[in-house]
Amino acid sequence: MNESCYGCSTCASADKPLEGFIAKLPMETSHHRVESQETKCGFGLQGVCCRLCANGPCRITPESPRGICGATADVMVTRNLLRAVAAGSGCYIHVVENTALNLKNTALEKGKLKGLGALERLCKTFGVSGKDDHEKALNVANAVLEDLYKPEYVKMDLVEKMAYPPRFKVWKELGILPGGAKSEVFKGVVKCSTNLNSDPVNMLIDCLRLGISTGIYGLTLTNLLNDVLLGEPEIRMAPVGLRVIDPDYINIMITGHQHTMFVHLQERLIAPDVVAKAKAVGAKGFKLVGCTCVGQDLQLRGAHYTEIFNGHAGNNYTSEAILATGAIDAVLSEFNCTLPGIETVCDTLSIKQICIDDVAKKANAELKQFVFAERGKHSEEIIDAIIASYKERRPKVKLNLLPEHGYENNLTGVSEVSLKKFLGGNWKPLVDLIVSGDIKGVAGVVGCSSLVAGGHDVLTVALVKELIARDIIVLTAGCSSGGIENCGLMVPEAAELAGPKLKAVCKKLGIPPVLNFGPCLAIGRLEIVATELAETIGIDIPQLPLVLSAAQWLEEQALADGCFGLALGLPLHLGLPPFITGSKVATQVLTEDMKSLTGGQVIINADAKESADLLEKIIQEKRRALKI
Amino acid sequence: MKRIIIDQEKCDGCKNCTVACMQAHRATPGTVYDLDLLDPKNEARHTIVANGKGGYFPIFCRHCSVPDCVGACMSGALCKDPVSGHVQYDESRCGTCFMCVMSCPYGNVKPDKVTHKRILKCDFCKDDTEGPNCVRVCPKKAIHVEEVSA
Repeated sequence: MNESCYGCSTCASADKPLEGFIAKLPMETSHHRVESQETKCGFGLQGVCCRLCANGPCRITPESPRGICGATADVMVTRNLLRAVAAGSGCYIHVVENTALNLKNTALEKGKLKGLGALERLCKTFGVSGKDDHEKALNVANAVLEDLYKPEYVKMDLVEKMAYPPRFKVWKELGILPGGAKSEVFKGVVKCSTNLNSDPVNMLIDCLRLGISTGIYGLTLTNLLNDVLLGEPEIRMAPVGLRVIDPDYINIMITGHQHTMFVHLQERLIAPDVVAKAKAVGAKGFKLVGCTCVGQDLQLRGAHYTEIFNGHAGNNYTSEAILATGAIDAVLSEFNCTLPGIETVCDTLSIKQICIDDVAKKANAELKQFVFAERGKHSEEIIDAIIASYKERRPKVKLNLLPEHGYENNLTGVSEVSLKKFLGGNWKPLVDLIVSGDIKGVAGVVGCSSLVAGGHDVLTVALVKELIARDIIVLTAGCSSGGIENCGLMVPEAAELAGPKLKAVCKKLGIPPVLNFGPCLAIGRLEIVATELAETIGIDIPQLPLVLSAAQWLEEQALADGCFGLALGLPLHLGLPPFITGSKVATQVLTEDMKSLTGGQVIINADAKESADLLEKIIQEKRRALKI
Repeated sequence: MKRIIIDQEKCDGCKNCTVACMQAHRATPGTVYDLDLLDPKNEARHTIVANGKGGYFPIFCRHCSVPDCVGACMSGALCKDPVSGHVQYDESRCGTCFMCVMSCPYGNVKPDKVTHKRILKCDFCKDDTEGPNCVRVCPKKAIHVEEVSA
């Protein structure tokens, strides 16, 4: 391996040890490419480049205020936004569909269900039952699948059962109750195609409808179905960062969002005969190394996976560094965020890539399409392939570990259920702290990690520090969590960084000022927390002193999530605008008019301090309205 | 003097230079995200014209050695700066005769579309120490700044 660095032009990271590690790597990563992609197209940034037809690309300038077809900036922007939201929704609906199918197949096979409490809660919410747990699980899975497959003109049944009644009423009045979730995606992509809809507000309404189906099914229900199959989160301490990589094991880095696809393989990897195979080639056994949201989810449920899961190493834009340690022997991917750029790193270090869902097929990966009935055979083939990779590559690859990276004692396993249990079985203690002002408000800092808005996790981490310093407790979900925890904000000692009141609360409870709910899917869990807090106080969600920030939103899925936040009536901060500012109508509706529709609003600001000021001001206004 | 040198073969018509020019000369401060792309007040100083063969003519002010626009200007609104060599425009002295528009051999000087009383031309981003913004954002390096004899 070449000892010299590849190039010293890597972007900044909030995680300074990681930034230094990446800058010295003898290979190119996404962090190296930020500089060469620095010149951004101004029309693209504002969302006014249209290439929906052969006349394009058409761009908006003072001399050319309409595209050739006549489309205005408003039409171009909202079409592009709806297209992105529909695609993002499709991604999450794919995840919940597979999760429900796996639960269904497991139930039919009378397989192991690890979260019976979650199953009972779902049965109660859905109003379904069964003669035993397997029949109950089957009925729950079927109820979800039946809704997903409804046509667009038939409303889904579970929305009313899952939603907070005052919200359901608002959605009904606005006419944004979704039909079948897959059909809503279909309608979305039809609507924004060439020379169809040209009504910007009509398309923005569709974004909200897709937000609801994404949020309730793709986010919330995916978590709860996973809880039934994989076991519920339990609060505990866990290590994070590159330190979790133990080179004595055959290490598999996992990327994606569809954890139920790993169940069989995970069980096999700790079976004595498989461990013996690992030992035969000189390793102590197998370990899964967490990366992206699937890693966050395993960390969240880590209490059930202590033997196989070694910890969460980092988020999407840490994946190349994790691989570059040389101690990863295979990448097992099933969804995003599996960066195309890992292919060259894997090639350089002879890392085997295996993909188990072709929606995320990487060019270099061997495809082992997950089929429930064939999972046993596939697990054995995957194990043998990974052992072969380990045996082949380890003698020739030099390790480049960073064992001091990350933190040892991070609070994890936080969910809407485990947090309530921690608080004594109800939300009153948290509500009391909010009322007394010991906790000024709640901020959900969620979503992705990007390399813009200052660099890798730069805005996210700076914003979190600003918020906790103002006595605002932060709840996280998504790749943002991976960055925040690797920067040390999820260890109890981080209480020192909080404002005096929040610091006292944290010290009393022995918790950090930032509570990690895990993967981006768990934005659905945060929204259950919001709903239950509103219910406890007896108000609607928009009245809560609660804000959302997807400071470093990256992808289309984040935009669909954001639309759910808006439908819930929450203020949603974004560091960079989602390619909408070329349209005065879209900007006005999303940042202002939305307040009178759902109660939500988009706030765009790339400066951590200014953003925190804006969010704090909203929290103070909500407090005043509640007379607290 | 420094001059913008054009390599028209490299231009792919992305108009990044256009957005950068608009942003550099906007009246109100802000980011490229909130630059009003529809406001005629924000018109760019240069033009990118299709050459009819799939390529483009990027038309930028040459700040000519012997500028016809300066020669045609009776009021003294246009002057070739003796130090920088750049042709600068003093709006307060402009008589709105548009003789500069008529005489520019490159068709680069143009009347503004809002007041019709002044002209728009490249000022080489004179207040920006990093030089012309259009050059900095060109992803194809179709324009670059070069030191030439005045």
